[in-house]
Amino acid sequence: MQTLRVALAQVAPRLGALDANLGMHHDRLREARDAGADIVVFPELGLTGYQLQDLAAEVAMRLDDRRLATLAGETRGLSAIVSFVEESGDHRLFIAAALIEDGEIRHVHRKLFLPTYGLFDERRFFAPGDLLRAVPSRLGFGVGIGICEDFWHLPVPQLLALDGAQVLVNVSSSPGRDLAATNEVGLGTATSWRTLMRTYAQLTTSFVVFCNRVGVDESISFWGGSEVIAPTGQAVFSAPLHDEGLFLVDIAPADIRRERIGLPLLRDERPEWNLRELRRVVAERAGLAEDATADPGAEAGLDVSPAEAPSEPIGFDAHRGRTTRPMDKGA
Amino acid sequence: MTAQAFELPDELAIDTDVARRVIAGFIRGQLEQAGFDRAVLGLSGGIDSALVAYLVAEAIGADRLLTVLMPYRTSSPASRADAESVVADLGCRSELVEITAMVDGYFGTDEVAGAAGADGGPASALRRGNFAARMRMSVLYDRSVTWGGLVVGTGNKTEGLIGYTTLFGDSACAFNPIGDLYKSQVRQLSVAIGVPDAIVRKAPSADLWPGQTDEDEGGFSYPLLDRILFWRVDKRRSVEEMADMGFDAGTVERVDRMIATSEFKRQVPPIAKLGPRTAGVDYLYPRRRPGSARG
Repeated sequence: MQTLRVALAQVAPRLGALDANLGMHHDRLREARDAGADIVVFPELGLTGYQLQDLAAEVAMRLDDRRLATLAGETRGLSAIVSFVEESGDHRLFIAAALIEDGEIRHVHRKLFLPTYGLFDERRFFAPGDLLRAVPSRLGFGVGIGICEDFWHLPVPQLLALDGAQVLVNVSSSPGRDLAATNEVGLGTATSWRTLMRTYAQLTTSFVVFCNRVGVDESISFWGGSEVIAPTGQAVFSAPLHDEGLFLVDIAPADIRRERIGLPLLRDERPEWNLRELRRVVAERAGLAEDATADPGAEAGLDVSPAEAPSEPIGFDAHRGRTTRPMDKGA
Repeated sequence: MTAQAFELPDELAIDTDVARRVIAGFIRGQLEQAGFDRAVLGLSGGIDSALVAYLVAEAIGADRLLTVLMPYRTSSPASRADAESVVADLGCRSELVEITAMVDGYFGTDEVAGAAGADGGPASALRRGNFAARMRMSVLYDRSVTWGGLVVGTGNKTEGLIGYTTLFGDSACAFNPIGDLYKSQVRQLSVAIGVPDAIVRKAPSADLWPGQTDEDEGGFSYPLLDRILFWRVDKRRSVEEMADMGFDAGTVERVDRMIATSEFKRQVPPIAKLGPRTAGVDYLYPRRRPGSARG
């Protein structure tokens, strides 16, 4: 049976130390090649560290950067996903992850969702990407890349699977928090991620490869716990929390077909219906269409009317002409 | 088996193995990024600094830790004995620096006026306590140079949130491994890591005068205070929701006021914005970055 060897590079990049991290990537790529890996996955911003703030502009690279080309040179006969700060021609900075194979950058995913809440402040420093694409790989299957927060938005794994991905890869710099005694691994963040990854693998009947970094940036400790989940939703491999290492996992691509035949969820998806309903919801949330199933007086995007009528700024009443005031109910 | 040494509210229980792992990595990371491999901290005999000493020893080895005992003449001999028990158990380096001459040199004694002049003699316990805390800070930062190690903070989350701390005194440090742990969690972790039982069991005290305890002074038990802070701050419960959960609304509101009035202690002092880029406002760099480590 054909197997593919996935190498999870659960590394601890040094914050802002691009050259040192490039060296570490070169070393890990060689180590993975020597170990017979087919694809090596590095975590989000593995080349730069995460908590960059104003350093982001100082470590940013254009896609034609010689250092990326040199790194790509390590991938003859190998696939790798590496992540860095990408600067576009118009000087926007993106959190990017590139699929590099046989010495070439084959695809670049720019992080779509930039968390700017809680301990996160990404949107202050980075621009969000606009494109999501599954792409073919030299390994013979479609690859879909997401970066950390991208996989906290339901459509992302579904779109990648519908677009042809059979292996969904999430590269992360997930900060550990919510220390507790009441969950399986003692860390709320880890438990949430595990739940999500298993769910996506099962619902898209795809392999999910999750690579999360370890180490410390400033106050933040990254928890590792990288995983490979089979299309059944079962974990094939779970790396230890907090330990640095290159972890090798063999997967059987035949499992994708087996699961998709036995559990044809992807066959039964109805993207055209999704699209229709999404168009309706978008219009209703924007106040451009009437929500036929909402209570009178409900705000755009809500179905239930408030106990008290909200103020109505000019231009915000999508339902003018209808009985919109809650006090009219039953009158 | 001994009886439970302290009360641990259910919602505050942590996985102590994970906590030790994360904190050890944090301590090593802070030192490495700054170009240091040694640490120094003030050991009072209380549970917070004892726990941090154990955590630092676990992270980098006891031989790289300098503990400094800094009693004042009214400090309890029992506190010093407890601190010495930590030193003996860990086998770390320890120095004794009496701060009596420093504090009395400012406030004066019954016989001799101090640098503060006539105002020094009648100084309140608060002034004396704060001054002593800042003298200890000065000693630690001096030993930081002689020992070649970073000063490790020992303040916990409970005292940080209610402001039971001296600005630029006990709160001063290069980094703090336990500042996000409530007192109850400090106790739980202390038991797990092997802090001597006598230290875990005794009533927490700033040791500013004989018989003083935090809980008498604040009027709360730590488990209650920790629970209020946890639900109010971490879990964002409103005062009304807290009352529905069985907390006394007046007590919750009192804790709210302590949090609000001490907000300034938890933040870097603001700089008047004048130039194009201002530190902490729109000049935002990590504390440690390439080139910033001691060479």
